[in-house]
Amino acid sequence: MSAAGKNGFQAVVIGGGHNGLTAAAYLARAGLRVAVLERRPVLGGIAAGEEFLPGYGTAGLVHDASRVWGRVVKDLDLGGHGLSLTPARPPVLALDDQGRGLRLDPDPAGTAKEIEALASAGEAARYGQYRAFLSRLQGFIVRLLGSLPPDLGSLGRGRQGWDLLRTGLALRRLGKKDMMELARIAPMCLADWLNEWFETDLLKAALAWPALAGDFTGPWSPGTNVNLVLYECASGSTVKGGPRALVRALEKAARAGGAEIRTGAEVERIIFSKGEVKGVALAGGGEVIESPLVLSSCDPRRTFLELLDRAAVDERLALRFENFRGRGTTAKVNLALDAPLKFACRPGRMVEFARTGSSLTQLEKAFDAAKHRRLPERPLLDIHLPHVSDPSLAPAGHAVASILVHFIPFDLDGGWTDQRRRELGDLVVSTLEEYAPGLSESIVGREVLSPADLGERYGLVRGHLNHGEHALDQLFLRPTPECARFATPIRGLYLCGSGGHPGGGITCGPGSLAASVAVKARAELG
Amino acid sequence: MTEVAPTLKDNFPSGPFDAVVVGGGHNGLVCAAYLARAGRRVLVLERRRVLGGAAVSEEVYPGFTYSVCSYVVSLFRPHIIRELDLARHGYRVIPLDCTFSPLENGDSLARWGDPARTRREIARFSPKDAEVAPQFGLAMTKMAAFIKNIIDHPAPDPASFDPGQLKALWGLAKDFREMGPDLMYLHNKLLTMSAVDFLDMWFESDQLKGPMSVSGIIGTFLGVRSPGTAYVLLHHYMGDIDGAFRSWGLSKGGTGGVSLAVARAARSFGAEIRTGAPVARILVSHGRASGVALEDGWEIKAKTVVSACDPRLTFLGLVGREHLEEEFIERIKRYKFRGSSGKVNLALDRVPEFSARPGLGEHLRGDITIAPGVDYLERAYDQAKYGEFSRRPFLDVVIPSLTDPTVAPPGKHVVSIFVQYAPYWLKEGPDSWPRKREAFGDAVIDTLAEYSPNLKDSILHRQVLTPWDLEQEFGLSEGNIFQGELSLEQLFFLRPVAGWARYRTPVKDLWMCGSCTHPGGGVMGSPGELAAKTLLRSRSL
Repeated sequence: MSAAGKNGFQAVVIGGGHNGLTAAAYLARAGLRVAVLERRPVLGGIAAGEEFLPGYGTAGLVHDASRVWGRVVKDLDLGGHGLSLTPARPPVLALDDQGRGLRLDPDPAGTAKEIEALASAGEAARYGQYRAFLSRLQGFIVRLLGSLPPDLGSLGRGRQGWDLLRTGLALRRLGKKDMMELARIAPMCLADWLNEWFETDLLKAALAWPALAGDFTGPWSPGTNVNLVLYECASGSTVKGGPRALVRALEKAARAGGAEIRTGAEVERIIFSKGEVKGVALAGGGEVIESPLVLSSCDPRRTFLELLDRAAVDERLALRFENFRGRGTTAKVNLALDAPLKFACRPGRMVEFARTGSSLTQLEKAFDAAKHRRLPERPLLDIHLPHVSDPSLAPAGHAVASILVHFIPFDLDGGWTDQRRRELGDLVVSTLEEYAPGLSESIVGREVLSPADLGERYGLVRGHLNHGEHALDQLFLRPTPECARFATPIRGLYLCGSGGHPGGGITCGPGSLAASVAVKARAELG
Repeated sequence: MTEVAPTLKDNFPSGPFDAVVVGGGHNGLVCAAYLARAGRRVLVLERRRVLGGAAVSEEVYPGFTYSVCSYVVSLFRPHIIRELDLARHGYRVIPLDCTFSPLENGDSLARWGDPARTRREIARFSPKDAEVAPQFGLAMTKMAAFIKNIIDHPAPDPASFDPGQLKALWGLAKDFREMGPDLMYLHNKLLTMSAVDFLDMWFESDQLKGPMSVSGIIGTFLGVRSPGTAYVLLHHYMGDIDGAFRSWGLSKGGTGGVSLAVARAARSFGAEIRTGAPVARILVSHGRASGVALEDGWEIKAKTVVSACDPRLTFLGLVGREHLEEEFIERIKRYKFRGSSGKVNLALDRVPEFSARPGLGEHLRGDITIAPGVDYLERAYDQAKYGEFSRRPFLDVVIPSLTDPTVAPPGKHVVSIFVQYAPYWLKEGPDSWPRKREAFGDAVIDTLAEYSPNLKDSILHRQVLTPWDLEQEFGLSEGNIFQGELSLEQLFFLRPVAGWARYRTPVKDLWMCGSCTHPGGGVMGSPGELAAKTLLRSRSL
C-alpha cells in the first residue's frame, strides 16, 4: 500500500479545484508524493478567476470566500503562502423593487442601524437577538461540520460510539432551551423561521439568499432552514482577493510540499482491479498514472458513474449515486463595463457585493419558474464587483459585474439554445438596470453561461454547483452512507469534493477531511 | 345513524369527577374510555349536538348520511380496538380494495389489493415500475414496523434527565440501529425527502407517481415536491384492518361509527357523556385546573381536566393568557395550523360513472383520486401558496353508499370528496371564505365532472366545507384537520411544543389528548390512548 506506482506517485488527486488542491496540500504535508490532475488549463474549478474578455476578469465563478475553514488556513500555513484574511464577512447591499437598499454589515451593530433606518428600532433589536442566538449555536455547528459523519455500519459502536456520545454531549451543552430550539428550527422552511423574527421583507429576503443559492428549493421549502443556520454559523473570516486568491495560496502550499500539479490533464478512467484502486488513465493518448491512492474531487456521480467502469460498480451503490439529487439552478452572467456600476439607492458609495430580491414571496415565485423549467420573470441576482477590491481585474476606470443568477433551470423547457442564452442575458441586464440606471450604455462585453454551460465547463453533473443538493437527507450522509466518511468501497479510492461532507461552497472542508482520513488509513496499514 | 346523546342536565350525575374531558371527538372519547376502564369517574363534554368531532356521521339531508369530515379509516390502532372491545360496541370497517385514478388523457390506473392485478395495471405504463413496485412495498412495510414503535408510545424528551425517558430514547436508538444500515439510510430519506423525490428513487411513470404521491400531502400545506412529505407515504402501509396490512376502509355508518363505538365502550365502563355542552372556560385556581365552566355559566368541578381541543383553543381560548407564562404563549402562537383542505359532500340520484372506465365496476367501490400527475399537483399547490384555492384541485373521492347501503336511500348515493388545496389564508383573508364557498364548490364539481360526465346532472344536494367552516363548526383552528400541521418541527417530542409533548401542560392537572399531541392527526386514537395511559401512570389521578 505504501509503495508508489511505477511512475512514482503515492497519491493522485483528480481535479484541481479548491478541494482537490486542499487535499493535495494535506497529502504532500504528510510526506506523500502527490500528483494533481486538472482537466482545464487553469486551476481552481469554480473558485478559479476567469478572464472572460481581454482585460476583464472575475474573482471566481462563485465569489463567497467567507467560509474557508480556519483549521485549513492554519494547517497548511496559507498565510505563509500569501493568503490574508479579513476577520468578518464583507458587507452586502440588498436591493428591493422600491428602490431601497439595506446594507448587511459585518458588524451586527452596523446592520442594526441600517435596519432601524429602513424599518424600526424593534426590528433592529430583534436582529441583535437573532445574531445572538446564532452565535450561541456556533460552537456546536462548527464542531458538527468539522467532524466526520457517523458510519451507519457501526453506528454507536467502539470509537464511533464515543464520538457520537461527545457530539450528543456538545448538543446538550447548548442547554435545554437552545437544543430544543435547534431541533425545532432545523427542519423548518426558512420563511417560517425568518417570519417568526422579522417583519421587513427586504431584510428577510437578504438573509435567506445564501441558504438557497445553488439548490432546487425555495424559501417555503421545508428543510431550507438548516442551510440558513449552517451558513450563518459557519461563515466568518473572508479571504482577501476572493476565491482566486485562495486558489493561488493553495497551489503554493501544495507545490511547497512537493505536489506535482498538471493542468490540461483530463482523467478519463479510474483504474482498479480486485476492489483496489491502481491509478488513473488520462484522456487523449491513454497515459496511465499509477498510484495506490486516488482522491477524486469530482462530483461523486461523475466519479462513480463515469470515471469508474460501470459494470464493476456494485449495482446497489450505482443506484444510490443515480438517486443522489442535484439539478443546477444557477447561471452566470459576466459584464464588462466601461464605467463603474452605480446603484441608485447608494449613489456615493463603493459597493462590492449586492443582491436583489424584494421579498420571500418574490424568491418563491422565482423558484416556481425553475420548478416548472421556465425562466423566472424576475431573476434573482447575486452581484460581485471584483475590481473594487482588485483593480487588476478591469482596465483603469472600467468595471466588472460578475453575477450569479439564481433559480435558472438546468433543464429549461425546450433546452438551452443561443437564443435562450441571449434572452437570459438580456433579462439579467434589464433587471440590474432597474437598480443601476445607465448600466446598459456602459456594457462593452458580456458572457452568459447557462447551468448547462457551467456543467460542461466545470464538469458539474447536471450543472449543480454544490455537486448535489444541500437537503436534509443529503447533508450528513453525503453522498451515500458507505462513502460518507470519504473512503469508498473501492480500496484506495476516496472522494474529496463538494459531494462529500460538509458539502459545497468554498470551505476546503471536504478536501481536508478526506485527505486526513486517507493519510490515517495509510498509516494504520503501515 | 345520527345518534343524539342526552342533553347536559338530564339526570346529571353528582360530582365529584376525577376527570372532565373537553371535546367528544374520537380522541376525547378514547381517552375517556381508558380512564373509565381504570375505574375513574369521567365526564365528556361535547359542544355540538353530535359526538365524534371531525370523525362524525351526520344526516345532513334526509336519508343521506355523510361522513362530514374524516372519511376513511386506516390507522385506528388495533390494540385500542381490542382493549376497549370496540367490535362488541359496533366498530366495523369495510376495506377499500382499490385506488382508482383517472388520468387527463382519458386513460386510468387502478391499484388493487391483489398485487398481481396491480402489477398488470402498472405495467401498462412502465414494465420497470411494475417490477419494482413489490420491492417498494416491502421496504415500506419494514419501515412501518419501526414507526409503529414510535406511534404506540409517548415521545421521550431528549432534553430530560429522567431515567425512564432516557431509557426510552436508548431503546429507540437501539431499535433504529438494529434495522441495519440500509434501512437506517432509507429512514433518514423517508423522514426528510419530498414524496416525489422519494418515489423517483423507484419509479419512472408520472401516471403512478401522481396518485401515489398525494398520500404525502393530505392535510398539509405542502406540495408533493416539498421536502418532508415522503414519510406520510408510510401511512398507506400502516393500515391494519383485521391484520391485513396496507388496507384502508370505510366505517360502517360513516366515520362517526368509529366515534360512536368508542362512546358506547366508554359508557360501558361508566363514563358520562354529554352533548350540547359547550365549555367556555377551563377553571384555573392557584395554577391548577379545577374544572370547567360552561357557556351558560354552570361550573363543573373535577380533579383533572383533559382537553381534546387544539392548543390555540385550549390555551388562548379556554385557559386564558393570564394563567400562562409569556414564553409559553409565544410558542403556542407560533404553532402552525394553516388548514389547506376542504370537503364537498354530495347526494346523488345515481352512481357517478367515469369515462376512463365506464360501467359500475369494482373500481368505484374503492378510493378514487384525481391526481393525474406530479406537475398537476404542483400547480394546484402553487395557487394555494399565493392565497387562492386550486382551480383544478387534487380530489380524493369515495362513494360509501356502494358498500354501505345504510347511508343513502335505496338507489341513491352519497359521495365524499376531499379537496386540496383550499388554503385557510386566502389572499383576501379567511373571512372571505363564505363569499367564495360556492365558487370553490363549483371548481371541485367542474374538475370531477371532467372525468365523470354524468356527475353534474345527478346531484341532489351538495354540502361544501371550507377550512373556515371547519374552524367555525368543528373548532379546528384555521381549519387544520390534524389540529396543527404534521411537519417535522411539530412532530414527536416537539408536538405541540417542545417540553410539553407528553400530554401534560404548564397548568397543573390540565392535560391534552387531541391530535395536536403525539403522534398526531388521523383517526388512530393514539393521542387519546397515550394521554390516558400517561395520566393514569402519573398517579396524579
